[in-house]
Parts: sequence; structure tokens; C-alpha cells
Amino acid sequence: MRIAFAGNPNSGKTTMYNALTGRSEKVGNWAGVTVGRKESPIKEAFTKGKEVIAVDLPGAYSMSPFTPEESITSEFVRDEHPDAIINIVDATNLSRSLFFTTQLLELGIPVVVALNKSDISDKEQTKIDVDKLSQKLNCPVVKTVSTAEKNNGLDKVVEKAVSLAGTAQTAPYVQADIDLKDKAAVDREDRKRFDFVNGIVKDVEVREVLSSETQQSDKVDSVLTNPVIGILIFAAVMYGVFWISQAWAGPGIADWLVGWIETFQEWVAGQLENSPAIVSAIVADGIVGGVGAVVGFLPLVMIMYFLLALLEDCGYMARVSAVMDPIFKRVGLSGKAIIPIIIGTGCGIPAIMACRTIRDDRERRASAMLTTFIPCGAKIPVIALFAGAFFAGAGWVSTVAYFLGIVLIFLGALLIKAITGYKYRKSFFIIELPMWKVPSLKRAFLSMMERAKAYIIKAATIILICNCVVQVMQSFNWQFQVVEEGMEDTSILASIASPFAILLIPLGFGAWQLAAAAVTGFIAKENVVGTLAVVYGLTNFIDVDELEMTGDGNVVAATMGLTSVAALAYLFFNLYTPPCFAAIGAMNSEMKSKAWLWSAIGLQLATGYTVAFLVYQIGTLITEGHLGTGFLPGLIAIIVIALIIVAIARRVRAHFDQQYSLHENAKAAA
Amino acid sequence: MNIQTIIAVVITAVILLLAIRYIYREKKKGTKCIGCPFAGECTKYGHHTETENCHLPE
Repeated sequence: MRIAFAGNPNSGKTTMYNALTGRSEKVGNWAGVTVGRKESPIKEAFTKGKEVIAVDLPGAYSMSPFTPEESITSEFVRDEHPDAIINIVDATNLSRSLFFTTQLLELGIPVVVALNKSDISDKEQTKIDVDKLSQKLNCPVVKTVSTAEKNNGLDKVVEKAVSLAGTAQTAPYVQADIDLKDKAAVDREDRKRFDFVNGIVKDVEVREVLSSETQQSDKVDSVLTNPVIGILIFAAVMYGVFWISQAWAGPGIADWLVGWIETFQEWVAGQLENSPAIVSAIVADGIVGGVGAVVGFLPLVMIMYFLLALLEDCGYMARVSAVMDPIFKRVGLSGKAIIPIIIGTGCGIPAIMACRTIRDDRERRASAMLTTFIPCGAKIPVIALFAGAFFAGAGWVSTVAYFLGIVLIFLGALLIKAITGYKYRKSFFIIELPMWKVPSLKRAFLSMMERAKAYIIKAATIILICNCVVQVMQSFNWQFQVVEEGMEDTSILASIASPFAILLIPLGFGAWQLAAAAVTGFIAKENVVGTLAVVYGLTNFIDVDELEMTGDGNVVAATMGLTSVAALAYLFFNLYTPPCFAAIGAMNSEMKSKAWLWSAIGLQLATGYTVAFLVYQIGTLITEGHLGTGFLPGLIAIIVIALIIVAIARRVRAHFDQQYSLHENAKAAA
Repeated sequence: MNIQTIIAVVITAVILLLAIRYIYREKKKGTKCIGCPFAGECTKYGHHTETENCHLPE
């Protein structure tokens, strides 16, 4: 038996699905979190031993397939004929929710309405006559609170759905037989449906607080979504998140963890004292040291995700979308592009995939190309390492990294708009601002632990293997002889990385070790930290003795031989070049065009190179009064990049001219 | 080779084999990114089978 969970976005479907199935699918306090469907068996405690599969569908406002999310829902319900539908209705917004309900009731499949968020509507002193509503809709209506542990109504909902499975459903409202291609006719019918729904709501609902009245939350929203103040508040909030996670609480806990890792590494090295040096190097330095260096940043990552989960759950991130939307539209991106960018702070791959909800081809591809400029979770250890080693753990480093990423997205969008000759056009972005709520610490904790698990898995697999390979390549030369200490420049790794290092001289970090770390970063960005630990023989990027990320910072800085400016340039190079091969693979899937894919890779490489060049050269000029090494070759490289962009733009526009100069085409055809 | 070396080599080999096996199995399942926190949720971004790329229906 299959029961579909359908309803408006952010009505609580996934929360209910998780509660009934025991899964932990991602829940966000804003619409658009679920874009695909998920299936899982409902726990037997709810089904009394029967096998029932729950299918969680993306939120939809109607059965009309205006967006991919809605088309998944409408196609599933129409084509796969579930045995019953549990329609999750937001009790705080009955009039909007019931539009979709009346459409579901027309399908002939038994529907049970779960009147969700009943606790919130009770708090608002909104009274809903459940029995009357059930009578008017010709289906059972059950009050639910899917976030509650007990007395949540979920068992009753499932019981009703299972008992009705396979029976017929009478629709209280049936749409007239119209031509669905006739927009005017569809609009007329929709209005009739709304009138029907509003009639029901008027009969069953009594509100103390009218939605037209301005509430305290509306006043807060007007400030948070203000185009100027909103952005400043966002900047302050994110600075707070970074400061807490990377300058205060994070390093404190990481300190303790790194102490244990170091102790373990010393013990392993001690056990292998009499072993061949290569064995000790691979095991103690490569595996324990390299992986340990990455794992050492785990507390910073966990705290940051905990705080971001709180921000998302309270409803703030939806407000951020509303603030950024007008700016995105101005640079030729869809307003929807903000969603992938916010997802991208976690991971670039789902962020790129989330771009598929953008209908326009050019906007979708542009968003997929640019979204990885926002630093993802894998880049947090890299940011934390350089912030700690070179800038005394200052919170501004992270803040600048993220905001510079946003600026690069805007500039990149303008560049793409200029190249493709795209004129500004109206696009629409509609998002429901969820109600403010006290964020769930439990959900934030679970989200944090999920990330931590994924981080450790990555460290124990990809990073472990990479560090082993790097250590072996650093320990042997091309004759497969062990390289003596101090002679690492003759190793396989040095000979492969050195040509890349030459290209990076104008950026201030022409050492082969840094080039090697940057290259391994394309496998997984955390590898930058792991590889640096291996090539420089450093594990402790977090000082144990002084309990903060500054004491040994000088040792790290001295070992790497970088100035602060060069370190910042190196950091930005790693942040803004293509993130990882998996993300490139995701772009390949979404672009569906080799030209766009290679343009994306080229744009990201060019951006990382240019930003690093500017930071290093201008920074050196300011701090030391002279330009940095390799200014001229670097400038030539930037000019070449600019010329390539101009050439591409001219080719694209020439193609447009050819395609759209109709009289020339007509002459040619004649 | 002393006993510590042998143990270290064996443990390292086992850990590496387990890591490679895990990556291989995940890739066979269709996971796009090993260790990505969304790896198990890639299906949420569209109708997804093991043989298809993640595409929403047109």
C-alpha cells in the first residue's frame, strides 16, 4: 500500500514523513527544501503491522505544473495512483492550502486531511471547526502537530488513510470541463475554486487575528527585508556565526581534539621508531598526521552548521532570500538563484542541482556556473587554517570570504549577461516567508551530527587515500628510491607540482608544496589542509599550549614561507577556482552543453587566478610599498584572460547577428 | 622487519582497502560525491535512478 504525502510547501510534510518513517530527510523552515520525492515504509507502530509505504512529495500550491516541483507531485498522483493521500494542510493558512486540497479530492483517490501546525493556530486563537470542515470536504480531517513527540495526531491520520485505502472519494467541488490551454478559462475556473474555498473557510474558521493586520513579525520583516538594512543585518549575523564557530567556541574545542590527535601521532611515530622511514612517513605523517589535520577542524565545521541550522529553522534564511532577490534580478539572474547559493554554503553539488528549478536556460546555466563561488562546507577547514595561522583567528576572514563570493557571483552574472548579450527581463520569484519560530535545538543538533558524520566519512575515505598517495609521491623519486630528508624537491610530487608552481608565482605562492595542495584540492577541498600537513610535516594548525589558534600560527606561517597577503591570496585562489571534480560533474549534468561547461571551468579558474593576483599584488604594494614578484607575467596572464573573454563575447554576439539578421538569411536562402 | 612495522603495514593496508571498497560501493549506488552531506539526499533534486543522471522531468 502506498500513501502519498502532498500539500503546500512548508506545510510540514517532510517533518510528518520523518516522524512516521523514522527517516531524517532534510527539513527546512522555508518552502522549496524538498524538490524530489522520497519513499520509505511507515513504522509498524502506526500501521498496526501492515506494510505501508509513505511517499513524500515536493510542496505544490496546485496541480498545475508551473514548476518542476509541482509537476512531480501532479504527475505522481495522476500516474501512479497511490492508495490514499494524506494532504497536509497548514492550519495557519487554510484559505491558501485548501485550493490544492479541492484539486486532490477530484482525483477519486481517498484523501485524509492532516490539519497540521494546529498548535500554532491555537496559539493565534484561530478556531477551526474540524467536523464541519470534514463535512464540507467529504473527507476525514485530523488535527496534527507533526513536530510534537506525543499526542500529535499522526497515528489517527495513518489509521484513517489505511482504512480508506481503495475506497472511492467524492469531490466537493468539480472543475468545469474547459480547454486547459485557454489561460483565460483556467483563470476563471481557478477564481471559482478560490470562491468555493473561501466560502468553506468563512464557515469553519474564526480568527482573532486577521492576516490583513500588521503584526509584530511583519514589522520585524519589514526591517529584515529592507534592501539596505537587511543586507547589513545579514552581514552582521554571518559575522557572528563565523566569529563563534571559527574564532571563539570552535577553536577552543578543536584545540582539545587536536591535542589528542597529536598525542596519538606521537605514539604511532614512537612505535615505528625502528621501522623503515617510509613506513613511518606514510602511517604517522601521511595517514595520522594528514587526516588528523583535517579532522582537527571538525569542531569548527560542526558549530558553524549548528548555527546555520538554527538560522534556517527560525525562518531567517527565507528573509535573506527576499533581501537578495532584487539584486539578483538586476544582474540577470533569476531571483530563484538565491536558493542554490544558500544551499551552496553546505555543499556545491546539491546547490548546482537545485538550479534546475530555474526555467530559463541561460539563467539556469549561469546560476549553476556561479553558485560555487560561495564557499562550501569543504572549504571551511581551509578558511579556518589560514585565518588561524596568518590572521590570529580573526572572524573577518570568513566573512570576507563569503561576501566576496557573493560579489563574485554578481560580477560573474554581469559578465555572462554582457557576453551573451542578454537584456534585462522580468523574472518572478515568489517565496512564502515562514512564520518566525524558536529554532529547534534538537533539529539543529541532528543536522550538525549529520554533517559531522559525512565529514568523518570523507576524511576516512577520500582524504585518507589522497594523503597516502601524496606522502608516497613525496617520499619517492622517479627512480622509486626513497628521497632523503631535506631533498623533497627531487620527489615525484615536487616534479609534478613545480610546473604549476611557476604559474602561481605572480600570485605570491610559487612553492611546489602549495601548488600540490591546490591541485589535490580539486579532489576534495579539505585535501588542501591534508596535503599541506603532509608536505610541510605539520599537523598542529591549532595551538595546544595556548588554547587558541594563534600561538603556533607563527610556526605554520614561517614553515609555509608566506606573507599574510600571499596567504590571503592563496586562500582566495582555493576558494574561487573550481571546487572539486564532483562539482564539475554536477555542472556537466546541469549545463548539458560542453561549451557552457568549459566556460564555467574557465571562468572559475580565471576568477580564482585574477582575485589572487590582485590581492597579492595590491596587498604587497600597500603593506611593503612595492609590487609583488612576477607582476608583469601575471599582468600578461590577466590581459590574455580578458582578451579570451572579449573574443568569446564577440563570437557569441556574431552568432546572434547571424541568427537574427533575417534579411541576410533570406538573401542567403534565395 | 619488526613486529610494529608488520602491524602498521597490515593495518594501513586494511584501512586503505576498506576505504577503496566503500568508495567503490558508493559509486556503484550512484552517489555523486563521497562524504558529501547530501550524498544520501541527491534524489531529492529530481527523479533519480541508478543509471540516470539527476534530471527533473522536462
